[in-house]
Amino acid sequence: MMLAAFATTVFDSQRTFRELLQAMARPAAPRALPILPPSPASIAPAAMAVLLTLCDATTSVWLQQPQEDAVEHLRFHAGLRLAERPQDADFALITDPASMPSLTSFAHGDIRYPDRSASLIIQVAAFGSSPCVQGEVGRGSLALASTQDCTTPPQPSPVNKGGSSRAMHFAGPGIRETEILAIDRLPSDFWQQRAAMSVQLPLGVDLFFVAAQQVVALPRTTRLLES
Amino acid sequence: MSSSQVWSEDSGHDGNVHATRKYAPSPRRGEGWGEGLGWPCPPLHQGTFCSDFTQKHSSSARRPLTPTLSPKGRGSDIPAMNYNFAFLDEDTKRMLRRALLKAVAIPGYQVPFGSREMPLPYGWGTGGIQVTAALLGPDDVLKVIDQGADDTTNAVNIRRFFARVAGVATTEHTADATLIQTRHRIPETSLREDQILVFQVPEPEPLRTLEPREAETRTLHALADYGLMHVKLYEDIAQYGHIATSYDYPVLVDGRFLTSPSPIPKFDNPKMDHSPALMLFGAGREKRLYAIPPYTRVESLAFEDHPFEIQRWEHQCELCGSGESYLDEVVVDDRGTRMFVCSDTDFCGQRRAEAQA
Repeated sequence: MMLAAFATTVFDSQRTFRELLQAMARPAAPRALPILPPSPASIAPAAMAVLLTLCDATTSVWLQQPQEDAVEHLRFHAGLRLAERPQDADFALITDPASMPSLTSFAHGDIRYPDRSASLIIQVAAFGSSPCVQGEVGRGSLALASTQDCTTPPQPSPVNKGGSSRAMHFAGPGIRETEILAIDRLPSDFWQQRAAMSVQLPLGVDLFFVAAQQVVALPRTTRLLES
Repeated sequence: MSSSQVWSEDSGHDGNVHATRKYAPSPRRGEGWGEGLGWPCPPLHQGTFCSDFTQKHSSSARRPLTPTLSPKGRGSDIPAMNYNFAFLDEDTKRMLRRALLKAVAIPGYQVPFGSREMPLPYGWGTGGIQVTAALLGPDDVLKVIDQGADDTTNAVNIRRFFARVAGVATTEHTADATLIQTRHRIPETSLREDQILVFQVPEPEPLRTLEPREAETRTLHALADYGLMHVKLYEDIAQYGHIATSYDYPVLVDGRFLTSPSPIPKFDNPKMDHSPALMLFGAGREKRLYAIPPYTRVESLAFEDHPFEIQRWEHQCELCGSGESYLDEVVVDDRGTRMFVCSDTDFCGQRRAEAQA
């Protein structure tokens, strides 16, 4: 059976966009998406909200796991083109981060036009962030124990599994001092890949992580601090 | 909704100017946003939605729902032409939104976009209007200023445009606004994290007067080669003894891209550094948009022995007495008498209201 998309296209995509814009303007700070549209099983509703808000017939999208129902759903509702290879994509949907291709395989822009680069939408299990940095109501309540103190070094959350999900400190444009965030189940060399790409700034890829109803953006300019 | 609904818009520096307009909304319910645009939702649903929306917003914002423009003018009985919410179609908004996200991701870099023809000429804020239209939602409260004033032609017209094509609430108070479109000023009142400032930009390329070729300026930005601009500022010092640029004073964003702050007075440049509010810039004729994210380093170019300085006045505002705000010099009669008043009319009005209370 065909699933629906946004119930009221104009206003749902506008509200979603405003959250994405604020997420991009305030990196590493989780924001709640206001509307989660129906979505085929392989795509998280939050990722679907991002795709329906930003993609149309003029964008090409690379799906890591192009399952038939997902492809049909996206083609019908967004009319988007699917890219065969990651380097041709304007947007890429990563549904299984552990086996994702390296960040360098996506378009990172032209030196005169660094905006001609890919935006990755990465589905992850959960975020953890410290509630005491740039505190905002409702932020950072997902995975991390709220007893963590800013003055002590961040401890791995009991919810997180694997070495890549420790709480990390981020800085850069849009972040007042530092922002603390943990992201679950990324490839072990993900942050090394990203750090290696940062020498090419302003070239790079921009990342949207989605988990449950939340979205976190990491533009290319956000730096991971050594803690 | 009655077709004889009247609303008035108070717009004035001192509250004396009243513009009362008679707006005749479309006589048929449901003749609003989206109809005839091939939305993927059934007419029944649209009707329900529109009436809910009308009830919610006509009460809070005292505005009739008139997103329709009739070709024969207001009040004509022939079927109205319909526009999408906030005038632009959804494909255009998505294009703008993708460009805006890239602009925020690369602070100060000019993203090309497909600028549309707007119902007002280039130079009247078409870039800012398109950015605002891509952002605007029914819950937003819009403020529009022109050189700091809420009551000038450009500001009044753009505010009315969005009140009409999007039905949004408008305000003149900086603190009440969620979205502020501005021509050539940053409000004196400090902005908050939940506010967005949209600038109208005539020339987005700070190097354009020094290098006319776009391909060349792109290369200079790619190489971060901004020597030309330093030479220009140096020549100012050699000729006049100081840097003579007083508006559109070039800034370096996040230590990387040389960026035009739009023709704001250099007085406003320090407000851009680590601003809590997101700042977006739209240039309609030049088809470029760019952004300065919140809490981002914004340096005005200068030399160690000629540091950046903002304008200072010997006068104070003659209306509110402020000695800190940006002042306009106004000729008040035909004998050359002048007075200095705040350029930011809302700031000035609030100070006078506080002084009276």
